[in-house]
Amino acid sequence: MPTAMRSKGFIAIALLPALLLFLIFVIIPVFWSAYYGFFSWKGFGEATFIGLDNYKEMFKDPIFWRALRNNLILVVSSIIGQVPIALVLAIVLFKNSLFSRFIRSAVFMPMVLSTVVVGLIWGYIYHPQFGIANHVLEMLGLESWTRAWLSDPKVNMLAISIPINWANVGPYLVIFIAALQNISPEIHDAAKIDGSSGWNKLRNITLPMIWSTVVVTIVLCISGSLKAFDHVIVMTGGGPAQSTELLATYMYNSTFSVYRYGYGSAVSTMIMIVSAILIAINYFATRRKSS
Amino acid sequence: MNLQTTGIGSASGKRTIMKGLSGFVKLLLLGYAILTLYPLYWLFTSAFKSNQDFFTNPYGLPKEWMSENIFRAWELGNMGRAMLNSTVVTIISVALTILLSVLAAYVLSRFQFPFKKAVVVLFTTGLLIPIHSTLVPLFIMMKNIGLLDTYGALILPYTAFELPIAIFLSMAYMSSIPREIEEAAMIDGSGWWGIFGRMILPLCMPIVATISILAFLRFWNDFSFALVFINTQALKTLPLSLSLFSDGFGTDYALTMGAMAIAVIPTIVAYLILQEQIMKGMVAGSIKG
Repeated sequence: MPTAMRSKGFIAIALLPALLLFLIFVIIPVFWSAYYGFFSWKGFGEATFIGLDNYKEMFKDPIFWRALRNNLILVVSSIIGQVPIALVLAIVLFKNSLFSRFIRSAVFMPMVLSTVVVGLIWGYIYHPQFGIANHVLEMLGLESWTRAWLSDPKVNMLAISIPINWANVGPYLVIFIAALQNISPEIHDAAKIDGSSGWNKLRNITLPMIWSTVVVTIVLCISGSLKAFDHVIVMTGGGPAQSTELLATYMYNSTFSVYRYGYGSAVSTMIMIVSAILIAINYFATRRKSS
Repeated sequence: MNLQTTGIGSASGKRTIMKGLSGFVKLLLLGYAILTLYPLYWLFTSAFKSNQDFFTNPYGLPKEWMSENIFRAWELGNMGRAMLNSTVVTIISVALTILLSVLAAYVLSRFQFPFKKAVVVLFTTGLLIPIHSTLVPLFIMMKNIGLLDTYGALILPYTAFELPIAIFLSMAYMSSIPREIEEAAMIDGSGWWGIFGRMILPLCMPIVATISILAFLRFWNDFSFALVFINTQALKTLPLSLSLFSDGFGTDYALTMGAMAIAVIPTIVAYLILQEQIMKGMVAGSIKG
């Protein structure tokens, strides 16, 4: 029988490696970045304490606000793109037939690709000279719609959001299918007896039953959109003229291309704050719905 | 189940309408699936085209199947080295993630000790921290301790960021393993390590598989950490090499396509073999995450 002492030893040796690694590489950096955010520092030599100057500069910088706006564009486009597409697909595909399995696998496929590959492929699709996006529009007789999709500031955020939506419908589809399959057959039978079918059934029975799942997918959309860094770095690098900058790329560009570690840390801290705010808004919004 | 539901229908006229409608829906779905797969089809066909073929014949199959792009990409772009780096980093990180997370989950789900709740809360907050907000401080920290530009600069953060989700998945799984098994083993005189190694770990294999799939895809495909923490050519992973490849050989599009095909093949093969597990695993991971 293990003695109490021996269990204590086991607890320590089994838990500490995970805990330490997690503290050092995930938790402590958050505090470091809050701390460095109050300094002006080029990465070498002395760091000078400058109080809130980094934050003041950030709020005065129009690029920061554009980056924030671009982040929100991606959040909105994922919510109105991925969630409805996945929901509609799930409603028609929720049976486990061979056909619906094939479609599910196809829709899920881009999830296993590296974001770099997704960005590069779509960068080529949008290419002004040989990209198939313009090619297809020309074939449809819509020459006036053709453009340099990633350089035109009017449309480039939209153009960036399409591959992100393309790649991310899969998991939501699988989540919705699981939720739909969880609805017990008795409810479908009861609906049939009530004469409820088609659109009515969808609106009055199916949707309310899976509403909590819809909320979960919206939360996932928000956190997923904050991860769009890779796509933007690969497709545009934040340009042209910083028109596609996101908070994360803005942080990256203002830290590693101009060596302003203090300022970059302040932006990092801002990313934390923005994501905390988004999570809080969502938390309160969904709580009101369920009560 | 399926037989019953498809067999129901009142009038035969209604049935033909429904059949027509469902045929139309199927056609739309097929269209959507093709739209999703098209960029991949384009990638693989272009990888086997000459540059001239790529420009003049963007949609069709290659006029002449050339494997030259793949070989040139492998040599010129150091894709072989990148593949090796990705493999080493991914395998070590996955192994480390499994070992640390299953052990930690076992302790957290079976033992009572002070600050246990605080530890669980700490790991939960880890799920909410956006990884990009840690890039700058991690860069500075690793520069100070000389970890930058080593395999460790990727392995340690990958594992650390994967721990929360891996721990929660294993804890949920372990709650379904009856404690009597361990009590019996204890009476037999096994110590905790023996119980863990001989009983718990083997019983946890299904969830270990899920964690491995999730971690493999995340580590293999990671771009952000590699971009910031790796500078030496010899240590670059596949996604990082690819992104530089497209800059370096900007106009040699078919060559870049070849390089991408090399990078994509391992995950696509894994997906074709394990798709059900991958779908379930990624969904479990994203919901908890």
